[in-house]
Amino acid sequence: MKTFEEKWTAWLDEKLSGKELEEFEAALPDLQVALAEKRDARRLGVFLKEQLAAQRLTNEEFFSHQIRERIARETENDSPERATGTTWWTIPRLVWCGATALALFLITTFMFLGQQESSEQSDYLTQILKSQVNPVDSPNATVSIFESKTDNKVTVLWTEGLQSLPADYAAK
Amino acid sequence: MHTETTPAQADVSELDLVKRSQAGDTDAFDQLVTRYRTRVFAMIYNMVHNEQDAWDLAQEAFVKAWKSIGRFKGKSSFYTWIYRIVMNVTIDWLRKRQVKAGGAEFDDAIELKQIDPASKTVPKADPLPHKRMEHKEIRDRIDKAIEQLSPEHRAVILMKEIEEMQYHEIAETLGCSIGTVMSRLFYARKKLQNALRDVYENV
Repeated sequence: MKTFEEKWTAWLDEKLSGKELEEFEAALPDLQVALAEKRDARRLGVFLKEQLAAQRLTNEEFFSHQIRERIARETENDSPERATGTTWWTIPRLVWCGATALALFLITTFMFLGQQESSEQSDYLTQILKSQVNPVDSPNATVSIFESKTDNKVTVLWTEGLQSLPADYAAK
Repeated sequence: MHTETTPAQADVSELDLVKRSQAGDTDAFDQLVTRYRTRVFAMIYNMVHNEQDAWDLAQEAFVKAWKSIGRFKGKSSFYTWIYRIVMNVTIDWLRKRQVKAGGAEFDDAIELKQIDPASKTVPKADPLPHKRMEHKEIRDRIDKAIEQLSPEHRAVILMKEIEEMQYHEIAETLGCSIGTVMSRLFYARKKLQNALRDVYENV
């Protein structure tokens, strides 16, 4: 449902036709006054067009030059939102970067811990240098000599299941 | 809508220029600026009535258009799209200037008797002395009359009477309904008729 203002404007601009035009003109209290007003409004339109359309942009080339310079500056600073219409730091990219950073952190952490464990192990890692057991005297016995890998000054003699230490035993 | 083009430029379609601009081609955008700079400047000048301000606002509008041209989907014509940017920039500027100046709200209301056609709202203007008004004097009268309108009413009357845009194009440009455009046009015309009748009846 059009308001009176809308109908009046449409009537002035010759946009009313048929039944709508007839109804509108019939509803006007004084058609002659309205027609005079219509002519007056159209005269105003012509007058404005004549007076205002003449406004020219002086120094057009300088105007364009300034815009080119501003655009060049803007492009250097930050590339404009081109065809995609999005910025680089979109939310999916931020999430992706966050996940990557977390994965890198976890990998680095596990690698570091693994290295630490093997380093601790290496302190205690020993090497069997010699094992001498008399299977007759001590069938279940083992004799091992361990030497610290990191500190060659420490040597451990480990015996297990021996009844007695053989007299001629010499640890090297 | 007429554009400012040379025959060689006319061969290049506007859509092609827009697509190239979207791909970052500044030369293509420069051609778009050349096509519309005069009309954009004139439109802004008619709203702000100051050459330097109009120049700055037109520059700002074109730079904004460059920045956001990637978002132009071609659903409307390019000139409607760029006019929308121009109008946003200009209306914002007018509103901010009004706030800074501490001015009163634009009075868009008019007396009821001026709306009713039966109330004989077309008084015959008093004839001026037997001399034509100077062009500058006329221009000043028009500027003062337009300054009495709100930015939205200025935009509507200028787009309709100067740019000869259709209601739906004006509505698209201003982001409002066609009914709102027609209503604003009604009030803007009434105000300008009352303010300028003695001028245009004697020019």
